[in-house]
Amino acid sequence: MKRLLSNEYNILAARVFLGAVLVLACVDKIADPGAFTKSILDYRLVSGLAAAIPAAVIPWIELLCGMAIMFGLLLRGSSLLAGTLLGIFTLAVLTALIRGLDISCGCFTQDPSAARLGWLKVGENLVLISVSVFVYFSKNMRFSLEQYLRSRVGDP
Amino acid sequence: MNPLRQALREAIGIALSASVLGIGYTALTERGLFAESSPSRVRQPLNTSPSLMINLAAAKEFFESGDAIFIDSRHAFDYRMGHIKDAINVPLAEVEEQDELLSGLPPEKTLVVYCDGADCNSSLELATHLLAKGFSNVKVFFGGWNEWQSTGLPSETPAP
Repeated sequence: MKRLLSNEYNILAARVFLGAVLVLACVDKIADPGAFTKSILDYRLVSGLAAAIPAAVIPWIELLCGMAIMFGLLLRGSSLLAGTLLGIFTLAVLTALIRGLDISCGCFTQDPSAARLGWLKVGENLVLISVSVFVYFSKNMRFSLEQYLRSRVGDP
Repeated sequence: MNPLRQALREAIGIALSASVLGIGYTALTERGLFAESSPSRVRQPLNTSPSLMINLAAAKEFFESGDAIFIDSRHAFDYRMGHIKDAINVPLAEVEEQDELLSGLPPEKTLVVYCDGADCNSSLELATHLLAKGFSNVKVFFGGWNEWQSTGLPSETPAP
């Protein structure tokens, strides 16, 4: 198991998968921050500026974390931030499901007629959180920009 | 340096950069946070008149007249947990799959669409879809299941 988790190709696959999911998730939100604000409001946890500010910032966190994880730069910080964000989002989804809210997720599309929020989303999030934890604790930095830069600095 | 402390520093750095980029972008494009109007998603279909909306009293009247078909636009799970008596379930997300059912609805009947309540959009969107399909007698019961249930009107809920 330990070998499986420290395998450089598994780590690379996990990074590309998580990074791609984060980058894909940010596209529609950046394109229409107003619609994303509405998606946040649909959860009925916050209102006004408390929804508008995260709507402006979260997509860019997703973009920066996604790129950093994919390219292997600031890996620990980006995976920690991505995991935290996913954790908060999972809690929001859970509270929405418990309250029986009839809303769409607002994850990859801001189309309100998109698939309704369900328990599957909690499962998907738990998978993504697990991948974030895996990336955070991965020690093998091969195929990462960070290692490349370090090797360049280390070169005589 | 402690790995967790380093990770926290990196995370804070990314979060601050994202804040600058996000707030800068919305300010420059005058969207979202800096938009002049409220969120851009339309709450009410543009091609519908105010008479589309009905309140609880009108919904009750339609229900008692027997001339209306109530359509629950919520997720199938929510429908199973309780719905207006005799309402049919057409979840907005599955509207294309339910096309046959919708086509079979008698055109002379009034279709009363509802979802959870005033905060959900699916009833409005399903109503827009029905209007586009050619149904002319479409109403949206805006108070939805929450209001109906709270007044103890005829409902179907799973047996305890």
